[in-house]
Amino acid sequence: MRISHRLPAAGYRLLLFATIACAKPPTAAPEGERAVVRQPVGPVPGVGELPSAPNPLGNNRDVLQEGRRLFVQYNCSGCHGGRAGGGMAPSLRDRIWIYGSSPDHVFNSIAEGRAHGMPAWGTRLTDRQIWALTAYVQSLRTKDEPEAPKP
Amino acid sequence: MRKLAVLILLVACKKEAPSNLSPQREGAVTAVEGQKPEVRLIAPLANGDWTLPAGDYAHVRYSPLAQITTQNAPNLRMVTALSTGIARGHEGGPLVVGDTLYAVTPFPNNLIAVDLTKPGGQLKFLYEPHPDPRAVGIACCDVVNRGASYAQGKIVYNLLDAETVAVDAQTGRELWRTRVGNIDKGETTTMAALVVHDKVLVGSSGGELGVRGWIAALDLATGREVWRAYNTGPDKDVLIGGSFKPFYPKDQGKDLGATTWPADQWKLGGANVWGWISYDPESNLIFYGTGNPGVWNADLRPGDNKWSCSIIARNPDTGEARWAYQISKHDHWDYDEIMENVLLDMQFGGRMRKLLIHPARDGFMLVLDRETGELLSADKFVESTNWARGFDLKTGEADEDERKHTGFGKIVEHICPSSTGAKEFVPSAFSPRTGLLYIPAHNTCMSYEGIEANYIAGTPYLGADVKMYVGPGGYQGELIAWDVAGRKKVWGIKEEKLPVYSGVLATGGDVVFYGTMDGWFRAVDARNGTVLWQIHVGSGIVGNPITYLGPDKKQYVAVYSGVGGWMGAVADPNISADDPYAALGVVGAMAEIKRMTAQGGALYVFGVQP
Repeated sequence: MRISHRLPAAGYRLLLFATIACAKPPTAAPEGERAVVRQPVGPVPGVGELPSAPNPLGNNRDVLQEGRRLFVQYNCSGCHGGRAGGGMAPSLRDRIWIYGSSPDHVFNSIAEGRAHGMPAWGTRLTDRQIWALTAYVQSLRTKDEPEAPKP
Repeated sequence: MRKLAVLILLVACKKEAPSNLSPQREGAVTAVEGQKPEVRLIAPLANGDWTLPAGDYAHVRYSPLAQITTQNAPNLRMVTALSTGIARGHEGGPLVVGDTLYAVTPFPNNLIAVDLTKPGGQLKFLYEPHPDPRAVGIACCDVVNRGASYAQGKIVYNLLDAETVAVDAQTGRELWRTRVGNIDKGETTTMAALVVHDKVLVGSSGGELGVRGWIAALDLATGREVWRAYNTGPDKDVLIGGSFKPFYPKDQGKDLGATTWPADQWKLGGANVWGWISYDPESNLIFYGTGNPGVWNADLRPGDNKWSCSIIARNPDTGEARWAYQISKHDHWDYDEIMENVLLDMQFGGRMRKLLIHPARDGFMLVLDRETGELLSADKFVESTNWARGFDLKTGEADEDERKHTGFGKIVEHICPSSTGAKEFVPSAFSPRTGLLYIPAHNTCMSYEGIEANYIAGTPYLGADVKMYVGPGGYQGELIAWDVAGRKKVWGIKEEKLPVYSGVLATGGDVVFYGTMDGWFRAVDARNGTVLWQIHVGSGIVGNPITYLGPDKKQYVAVYSGVGGWMGAVADPNISADDPYAALGVVGAMAEIKRMTAQGGALYVFGVQP
């Protein structure tokens, strides 16, 4: 039987605060919501927060919808899951960003591809499309997520 | 039942078996003590060694070894636990040849040879083939491998990156290595290669990436490809010629593998061969099932889509097709029919028949005449099955419930079984002493919406938004004992939260072995399902147990632990529990598994304490 490593919400926030350099950017969902069974309690792996330019498209509703549409159209959903929860490829809904979580990191991961099967989309998609996908990926688990899975 | 279960080996093989058919240390056994009079076995059983993926060619997965009995099974103890060092899903099972046990791991597909004469599972050699790591990203359902074959001093198996290797069983030296597919097109190889005569039979995976399915034969001595048959396209590619005699008119006609598709869609048409191959040495035919048609969204491929979701009989030496039977035309549900085909001669419907028993992914127990491909019976073995009411034995067609047909832009609710099936690829076992087939079954349903799909080579080609959930009745898994001749369930052992995703082993001591996804390994009474013994191992079981005689002439049972595979992949921390559509829809049914087990591959061996 697996033991839940979930901490009380307040303690968890404190811990996050203490390891702020490695935490997710403010686009991440607030604590305490449903269904995430495995909550990391230590520093989250990845390059953490480095200076990053904002997404030039912003993250308004239309951009997020466009990103969601592209996510299905270009078969991202086939690997990363219908609502980006993972499958053949890792979840984009969790806190773990192997290649960085800032807008330009996410953009680069899509454009350049990554090891173990992520194709390089830089020659297939326009910059605008990649920024829209970036905005969608960063909206996951927030109140702005389009077509969010129902609990 | 008799109290003495000591086995007397009745060697009843009248025919001269070809020299390299399944080498068996204790002799070729095709009849066992206490066998039901209405049953006739057609191929030598695994008896001491375990040299083929199922142990035997007819895929009965029964060993006459009978030292472990219903009386002493409670004294089973762990003999060896050996980590493979790999976290992903450990499907398939080990081989035993003489004093050596061979385990093939998931990607990176290492071959671990264990010296059984030494205590504690000492390494004899480790062969590391280093397949292309890009293959990891195109494997639909975890980076699994379903086993190997032993023949003529070689261990032969597939690597994830669409290569087949032959390794010297004594030294671990690579003898040949053949590229059989192209990962840039999404082709992988996960099935267990089967050696028949001097041919290595291998098949493709990639039904979720628009791969055109095939089966190929390589020369055992050199690895050179001898023939290749596609399962879609014109007859010449499918190796359909003059000897092709399908039973039903629906399966007769020219170039059906091309004409039952729109335009060139058959080139992306799936029908892959990622499950098991059975072989009948008497008729010299192989039998295998084919996977789903590509693309999942059925509206994008009007027509019957042959030869997806079919059973095909071929000559193993030439590849020529003898017959084919399409189980469900124009698949709406991703019902790959790559399940095992159990070959038996048996009294059925009043006379002795040459049977092919196919516990189908679609929830029906299909019994065919393997000489002709005629469907003799079709009975639901999982009650919730609702995509069809039954099969018309005259036409071979399923009586489908059209309300369960999926398509573009509509969400069809409560389809049972889900795409993962009323059973998965994990194989059943048959005991000639009980006449029962032991089926690892699922009770999972789904909602299914057809959405757009674009073919981009090497990426998923689906067009479906699927969400699975536990079926009605308060359980998701069951080990079912099915009376083949009586066409009914006799007993079952239910699992509340998880499907039964391990293969089954039946033995001469009337003990049946199987595992659960939360890590229980069980010995149960073959006659009534009483649990005689169980042990909890390190990780969920999705592998197939085998049994063998050790160098000390004692009977052992071996199985992999290591949760994974399509449904088991949800235990992977890289998959989130809060997206029921994740992992092609299985998270909806499997999120609980994260609380019940965790990844980690190991080989376990059990034996009876004196």
